[in-house]
Amino acid sequence: MLARIAHELYWLGRNLARAEFTARAVEAVFRSELQGTSDSLPGVSFGSGGLLAILGDVDATPGNGRPSLEQLTLDSGRPGSMLASIERAREGARTVRDVISAEMWEAINTTSLELRDGVQPRWGGPTGTAVTSQYVKERTALIWGVANRSMLRDEAKSFLDAGSLIEIADMVLRMLRVALPSSNPAESDGQALILLQAVGGFHAYLRAVTAPPNAHPVARFLLFERAYPDSVAACVDSLHERFTLADAGPRNSKPVLRVSRLAADLDFQRRALPEGAELTGICEQTQQELARIDQDVAERYFAGAASAGLRR
Amino acid sequence: MAGYRPQAPFLDELFEADGTPRQTAEPLIRDLESLGADGLAEAGRRRDAMFMQQGITFETSSTGGGSHDRPFPLDLVPRVLSGEEWRAIKRGLAQRIRALNHFVDDVYHAREIVREGLVPWRLVASCSHFARAVHGIRPPGGVYTHVAGCDLVRHSDGTWRVIEDNVRIPSGISYVLENRAAMARLVPELFASYRVRPVEHYPQLLLRALRSVAPSAESEATVVVWTPGPANPAYFEHAFLARQMGVELVEASDLVVRDDVLYMRTTRGLERAHAVYRRLDDDFVDPLEFRPDSLLGVPGLVRAYRAGSVAIANAFGTGVADDKAIYRFVPDMIRFYLGEEPILENVRTYLLSEPEELEHVLARLDQLVVKPTGESGGRGVMIGPHASEQEIERMRGVISAHPDRWIAQDVVQLSTVPTVGEDGVLAPRHVDLRPFAVFGERIDIVPGGLTRVALEEGSLIVNSSRGGGSKDTWVLEDGDDADRAGPPIADTQPPALPDLRYGGWTGQQQQQQQRRAAAGER
Repeated sequence: MLARIAHELYWLGRNLARAEFTARAVEAVFRSELQGTSDSLPGVSFGSGGLLAILGDVDATPGNGRPSLEQLTLDSGRPGSMLASIERAREGARTVRDVISAEMWEAINTTSLELRDGVQPRWGGPTGTAVTSQYVKERTALIWGVANRSMLRDEAKSFLDAGSLIEIADMVLRMLRVALPSSNPAESDGQALILLQAVGGFHAYLRAVTAPPNAHPVARFLLFERAYPDSVAACVDSLHERFTLADAGPRNSKPVLRVSRLAADLDFQRRALPEGAELTGICEQTQQELARIDQDVAERYFAGAASAGLRR
Repeated sequence: MAGYRPQAPFLDELFEADGTPRQTAEPLIRDLESLGADGLAEAGRRRDAMFMQQGITFETSSTGGGSHDRPFPLDLVPRVLSGEEWRAIKRGLAQRIRALNHFVDDVYHAREIVREGLVPWRLVASCSHFARAVHGIRPPGGVYTHVAGCDLVRHSDGTWRVIEDNVRIPSGISYVLENRAAMARLVPELFASYRVRPVEHYPQLLLRALRSVAPSAESEATVVVWTPGPANPAYFEHAFLARQMGVELVEASDLVVRDDVLYMRTTRGLERAHAVYRRLDDDFVDPLEFRPDSLLGVPGLVRAYRAGSVAIANAFGTGVADDKAIYRFVPDMIRFYLGEEPILENVRTYLLSEPEELEHVLARLDQLVVKPTGESGGRGVMIGPHASEQEIERMRGVISAHPDRWIAQDVVQLSTVPTVGEDGVLAPRHVDLRPFAVFGERIDIVPGGLTRVALEEGSLIVNSSRGGGSKDTWVLEDGDDADRAGPPIADTQPPALPDLRYGGWTGQQQQQQQRRAAAGER
């Protein structure tokens, strides 16, 4: 397929995933900041300040939290806002309108049109943040549902998925890096419910892990649990699958090899690390490795075939 | 409906002059009446919401300088053509397109029609779309005008006339297909009494035609649609056609010519493209041969085309055939190349470069339509009877200075079709018709075409860029409605749908019902 189209699809996937995870995080933070701190010691620190840091919004100076959350939802001037991600996704989808299914384009277009009319009373007011986050979550679920049922599982879908997978892994790692205490975790292993809520994995965690949702087991779950689709390890596994499918010569393709090494590495860490070991270092390394994969992907698939030899 | 009166002297396509419905339109008028003004206005609102959602919009620039999307203006009253009428139009179009194709071939090769003295060479060579770069190139199959759209109008005497040919990049086919889909969703009741011939096979016709001309020896030919980019007003149509044909939509940056062969840049290196359906003007396609400042072009494309390694639809240089100054000679071309009499008439046209015709025109400017030869989309057109005294005087000066840049035509009394206003009330509005033909191994024409309608009262300008809308065009099948039957059902009956195998659901429900029934009996 065309390099330009593959590039657009990859970023369409990234933007959709980014909008969804921003929505989830905003909702969790909104809910937790409405209430006071609980009696049990919180093991992680995750608030609107941390959220802004994750989204790379360095200008923002969070006051009491509330205004900046609104900016994160509907201020399209802020590149990290949900609306900006959705708008970028819509622009991308418009360019690849002939590749994605008509239904999928409509789902994305409608979402963007609805949100853009920010004057609508339901987006404003005290409940606006919660309503908007909920809406974005529902719509992205719809968009992915339509994509999974209507798109051919070919190269195009692989690049779309790859974009979303790398974005999800990256978002989860960012969250962990911001939220995990840097001191010895064994001393302050308090509850980390908000992390699970922020990625939407609360229910899955309860079914998969018997330990209470404290910082350390939650971080392990989000990093290593392959059965949970949004964990870093599961994302890296799926990423490997997608690139193998899309690549003409996966055996000597840099991104494929790198992803497969990362997957093995995560698996190794999961088994080798003792319970309660420090995890922030792994988060950092993994994130750097993902950035390198992103770079390799751009070079191998999107740079255009200008320097590559003729295929035929 | 009761208050609807056709406007004399124009022909109304659904009503007789005395205000009674025409025979073919009777069921339609009845259904429209039962829908009522409120029903139509309501359907109009649903249409706007639907088009916004699907992104079928036009970007219009407002007076404030900003641009905004508005839904494509589809009118909900269809235009109805009988099968017999359509057959005549279709034959006439096929004949005309075949002659135009001959003409393009002739202009870039032997120039026989010029040597016979039928068309002056001066006119051909001065066409703004005459392309010296493609002299002597004959594309595969000898087809130049793969996609053609002729604009037809219906005069008050009922005859169809061609008002303009379009063999460069005629646009609008996507709206024909989308209009039909939208009508079926919005006002399905109108279809009930008619058998309308389908249009949705157009993309397959086009793909087959493109494959048939593609120079590909071994594998299946790779066809691409080439768009200038998402900022182009017709981008929706480009993406629509690419999606419907299942081919790549490419931009200039995706294409590259190496050793006289066209490739596209893919995730797996360069891959060959055999046929290009291009949706941009000659001027921009190749900076080495046409406009050197074009950023949208592919350097070397004309070289590849000349080498025969790629088919381009429509071919370069076809613009000589739809030039407004050449238009007048099309009936002569039909007689010269095909030895047939033209089936569709031209509108009487005056070439202002001829001194005696110029004199004649200047004397009756207030009764004629004056058009610039180098423009399209209704720009620069002056309609004499509608123009003010000053406009006519100014035009007189402009024409006298450069008579060769203008033509004049008799005013055609465009027919009208009832059209829904804002409040759902019908009023007569002028229409034209642009059928689309695809020329591959043979000429195929989809039934109907794009009916464009002037939404302003009394206006004769139907171009969408100047406030025109469109209508669904129905070509009826022969025979009456009685023999409408669904597709036959296969003899074998499928097995019954499977149900829960174990579990008490069904039993329980039955028991509950029994208890209820028993209680009722008591």
